[in-house]
Amino acid sequence: MSRQHHRKQRFKLRSFYVWHRYMGVAAALFTLVIAFTGILLNHTETFRFRDSHVQSTWILDWYGIEAPDQLLSFPVGDRHITLMGDDLYLDRKEIGDDYHDLTGALQLGDMLVVSVNNNILLLTPRGEMIERLKRNDGVPAGIEQIGIDAGGKLAVRTRHEIYRPDKDFIRWQRLDNKGSDIRWATPVPLEPRLKKLLQNHFRGEVLPVERVLLDLHSGRFFGKAGPWLFDIAAALLILLSLTGTWIWLKRRR
Amino acid sequence: MRSMKNLWPLLALLLWLPATADESNAAEAFLEEAFHGKVPEPAMVWLSGERKQAVARILGHNYPALRIRYWRSDQRSAWILEETGKEQPITIGVIVNDGTLERIKVLAFRESRGGEIRYPFFTDQFKGIGIDDRQELNRHIDGISGATLSVTAMKKVAALALYLDSITGKQDVQTAP
Repeated sequence: MSRQHHRKQRFKLRSFYVWHRYMGVAAALFTLVIAFTGILLNHTETFRFRDSHVQSTWILDWYGIEAPDQLLSFPVGDRHITLMGDDLYLDRKEIGDDYHDLTGALQLGDMLVVSVNNNILLLTPRGEMIERLKRNDGVPAGIEQIGIDAGGKLAVRTRHEIYRPDKDFIRWQRLDNKGSDIRWATPVPLEPRLKKLLQNHFRGEVLPVERVLLDLHSGRFFGKAGPWLFDIAAALLILLSLTGTWIWLKRRR
Repeated sequence: MRSMKNLWPLLALLLWLPATADESNAAEAFLEEAFHGKVPEPAMVWLSGERKQAVARILGHNYPALRIRYWRSDQRSAWILEETGKEQPITIGVIVNDGTLERIKVLAFRESRGGEIRYPFFTDQFKGIGIDDRQELNRHIDGISGATLSVTAMKKVAALALYLDSITGKQDVQTAP
């Protein structure tokens, strides 16, 4: 072997080594993200990533998650029953389940009455569910409004009739009068501070942490180019392992 | 296409209305059958203190309301209860007679799988069953493969109805404690 040949070999090796280094640096950040998120995803159950939701405003903005701007709110005493999306709130406290069609809410003695999903919810002042009354409990179909009459009794209005339950909400009786003495619950605009709090709460329940980890792991978090970037990083890792092995073999000789 | 788009809410309403009406009818029919056409006035049991804890122990979670309606005539009581199988609540009617289960029937099943619990080959196992001191069913119930969560939900509802019958049979619990 000539000296020139040796020099050529060393140059080739050094060139490979430089490329290997650059590829290593380029892939390092992606490798860290993939490895770290991979470890976390392996323990989704333990860390409850499926049930926990992202609260970070910028991540929620990045995903384009917005709370509904329109919400429906009824005053109950000095508080509010509000429907936002399919979430129902007593002030800031969320009342479980999915809801739609809020048609009224009012305070009846020491109880709150809410008409939603064509059900009547009876709540304690703290927002605990006393009972959820449905059609098979005698609740009239197609409730459009609820209100209180001059005697402080509940009345519900459907398209054609007005009904009143007994004190235990067991029997519902149709009223013959037009209900002129009834004060119907009417929606009010929610004060901006509470509205903002509810919107933040709503947004904070949408995006599971697991979704973000999966998107970080696949590169989708970084937009359309993300998966391609991560593909390139994966290709670099393959090349790294090949060049690394090659350099190691050459040096051994 | 635009006109079709406008029809979707109407179509959804038409599909939804019969479903809710069916559920309501199923509950009414269940009670009519249970009391041979003479359905008594419903009564209410409040869940608080020890009762609330016992119910939470039976279900594995708190009951989502503070009071439950039931119908009683002499030694027989009827209960219409809901428990989630996998994701959706299953509405189940239970008749308890003299402390043991006389009949259990699915009144509304909303899950995509596990509907086998509706059939008599499964529900007949519950006839005559009771609960022990720990409010657990005092007899083994054979499961159905592929319907484990629905089976569990029905067993919980059976135990809950038997427990509630035992406390309502003993004392007047129509008023809040």
